[in-house]
Amino acid sequence: MALKIAVEKSPTPTLKLVGRLDTDTAPELDSELNKVLASKGIKRLVFDLSGLDYLSSAGIRCFVRARKAIEPGGGTVAIVNPQAGVRKVLDIVKAIPAKGIFASVAELDEYLDAIQQQVRDQ
Amino acid sequence: MLLWILAVAVPIYAAAMYMSYRSAAERLELGAERDADELASQLAADLDAVIRPIEGGIRTVAAQLEEIDPPLEQYEPRIRGILAAWPEVYGSTIAVETGSAHTSPRPFAPYLFRRDAAVASSDLALDSYAYRSLPWYRRAADGLEPVWSLPYFDAGGGEIWMVTYSVPFFRRPADSERVLAGVVTADLDLNWVRAAAEGAPMGAIGMGWLMSPPDPESFVAPIGATTQRVARFDASIDEQAFRDIGERMLASGVTFGLLPDGAAAEPAYLAVRALETLDWRLLLVLPRAELLAEARALLERQLLLGAAGLVLLIAAISFVAASISRPIHALASAVDGARDGDLDFRLPEGQRHDEVGVLTEALRRMRDSLQRHIALRAEDLAARARLENELKIAASIQQSMLPHWAVDAHPAGARVAAALLPARQVGGDLYDYFEREGGLLFAVADVSDKGIPAALFMASVSGLFKVLGSAGELPERLLGRVNERLAESNDACMFATMGCGFLDVGTGLLRYASAGHEPPLLLEVGGKVELLITENGPALAIDTPAVYPMTERYLAPGDTVLLFTDGVTEAAAADGSLYGIERLSALLEGRADDDGPEALVRRLVEAVTAHAADFHATDDLTALAVTFAPRGVTASRRADGEHWLIEPELSAAGVREVRQRLRAILAARRVAASRIDDTELIAEELLTNIVRAAGAGDAKSRMSLELELTPAEILLTIRDNGLAFDPLSRAPPNLDAALADRDVGGLGIHLVRELAEDCRYARVDDCNVLTIRLNRVIT
Repeated sequence: MALKIAVEKSPTPTLKLVGRLDTDTAPELDSELNKVLASKGIKRLVFDLSGLDYLSSAGIRCFVRARKAIEPGGGTVAIVNPQAGVRKVLDIVKAIPAKGIFASVAELDEYLDAIQQQVRDQ
Repeated sequence: MLLWILAVAVPIYAAAMYMSYRSAAERLELGAERDADELASQLAADLDAVIRPIEGGIRTVAAQLEEIDPPLEQYEPRIRGILAAWPEVYGSTIAVETGSAHTSPRPFAPYLFRRDAAVASSDLALDSYAYRSLPWYRRAADGLEPVWSLPYFDAGGGEIWMVTYSVPFFRRPADSERVLAGVVTADLDLNWVRAAAEGAPMGAIGMGWLMSPPDPESFVAPIGATTQRVARFDASIDEQAFRDIGERMLASGVTFGLLPDGAAAEPAYLAVRALETLDWRLLLVLPRAELLAEARALLERQLLLGAAGLVLLIAAISFVAASISRPIHALASAVDGARDGDLDFRLPEGQRHDEVGVLTEALRRMRDSLQRHIALRAEDLAARARLENELKIAASIQQSMLPHWAVDAHPAGARVAAALLPARQVGGDLYDYFEREGGLLFAVADVSDKGIPAALFMASVSGLFKVLGSAGELPERLLGRVNERLAESNDACMFATMGCGFLDVGTGLLRYASAGHEPPLLLEVGGKVELLITENGPALAIDTPAVYPMTERYLAPGDTVLLFTDGVTEAAAADGSLYGIERLSALLEGRADDDGPEALVRRLVEAVTAHAADFHATDDLTALAVTFAPRGVTASRRADGEHWLIEPELSAAGVREVRQRLRAILAARRVAASRIDDTELIAEELLTNIVRAAGAGDAKSRMSLELELTPAEILLTIRDNGLAFDPLSRAPPNLDAALADRDVGGLGIHLVRELAEDCRYARVDDCNVLTIRLNRVIT
């Protein structure tokens, strides 16, 4: 009934969540997010949910907070590899646009490469 | 005994005496016969002594007459010579034949006879006498042989009994054959016979007669003292009758026999002898009483001696019998004293060397051996009592090894009840349970065997279980380690089966491992009973190392796991039928909704002991029921399902607890994982809202969640006594709005609506009541 959070700063800041993200554990993620979001100019933030078993609305709020912090500056929040149950919750609440949810890290890398290409092209 | 001996001895005695009498009588009879023979030959000799010379003499006279053929006048001197030669000759004649050319022309028969010591003569050749026609002449003349006449009484002549010897004589004329010339006779006066008979040596008894052949009367000469004896014996005796009897006897070749009845005054023997001389008879009559007097006297002597002997015998037997029976009676009364268990009875002292002595000695040995035996038995009983006592202590120690909880005290989160009925005072069954960090460890074990060895082994298992169990091992490793320790020094080759479980009282997760033990039964709140199928490891103390696979299974609050030993399933009825798992399952399925583990165990024990013919003869019976009963959860049975009421404290922790319970219950009922997640999520969203709305520190605030599980649905009913608020009335969030415009609130309710089949709100009794229905299976 716990949540483990692994933070990866580069190349893309990634929070790998293992366990259960709910009312009880959301504050932990919030405090971790605070640290991550404290560094200015984050363009991308990835939540790796491959190890997340359970997600409730309290957790979703964390994702929304991250989006609200990053997206205004042109950044993106992506979710990678959610399990079926978690994916269902995400789909119901639509807290993350469907284009921001990736089935795998490879899919995300492709997407990120494409964005970089766009930036380069501009 | 005396009677028996007499009954045998007296007839033998009597028979012996009779035989002795008989042989004496026979001896006497033989003696009498011998006497008769002797007497007969004596008499014959006496007669012969007189008769044979006379016969010879007369024949010589006849021969001379033939030889010389003297003239008639020379006949008289010759006759005179005869009389001179033999005093027994009374008279004699030479009578001549007449009537032929060679014979005398006239009858001639001078007869000389004695008269008064002189010799007288008379002439027989008188016409009136006609001697040639008289028998004394004719028989000799016709037979041409010498012949004796039968005795006859010479009435008118000598007036005496006489017998006549007639010898023919012949003439040999020159011109003719030898012709009869006449007959020489001699008349014997039989008085000498009487004298001879009287002088004969007659024995001491009896009467005897010498008799001539009957004609028709016989000449009879009593022998010896016969005349006097006859007078004494029977004056009317008829010796002629005896003669006839004697003749008949001789005719049939018998010479000695009893006289027929009536022949004499008293029974008597008759001995008869035929004498060659003159064909006379000797008759001896021997009164039996006299003849056998000797035998009788002998018999009387023997009787007297016999009687004396018998008296002596009786005295001797009585003495001997008394000398045997008195001590035997004494022995009997002494031994009789032992009937009341007093084996100190005194036996007669003293050395006897007879059978009584042997018997006394045997009894003495028996008494001593009995005393020893009883002493041993007393020791044995004392030892047994000691053993009984020790067994009692052992039983109480064994009882003390079982967990002791106050009647209504249960470990946190669970209710436990157990029963152990040993088949003997101490048994090889074991149950144990104790609280450990996070839950309850419990086990049931069954040692192979019964009685003290099993009890000791069981104590060892119990100790290991307690020590290793409190060290925090989970069942699989716990069994492994107990097994290792037991197998290390299992010289007695005992073994035990054990079922061991650990119930996490927080989650209801049961971890169970089995060492060759019967699988336990799971009793769900709704009534269903099923075997907890486990993969068995080997029984304890046999193999090392051994693997005990662990089975994990969630229990819903109110669920019970029932462990038991084969004393339950193998309790045998009188007809041999075992109680069996089917009966047990049926019994448990029929339990009441509110049967706690105590009631279950009680009903089980009652049913099994009622089934078993003689419970204590079979096996130890052990049952352990553990009901998962976490605080704040009430389980109950519903018509078509199960129902749990969870009453947490109104806090984040309370929400956590409810979520945990929900997961555990739904997992226990094998609801799909995603449905469990959905249900938990709904509970979390709604309860979190309630907690948030209530604020902290409001002691009166309450919330509860009811879960009802039917075969098709999951029904949640959530109540709180906060301010009336219908979360469902809130408009669904605009999920398509731009991020900046989005309200993060309302997401939870939205999730609830989306996940549930149906959500309803009602305000009942000042409570907000939310009812959420989910399909049990996602279609």
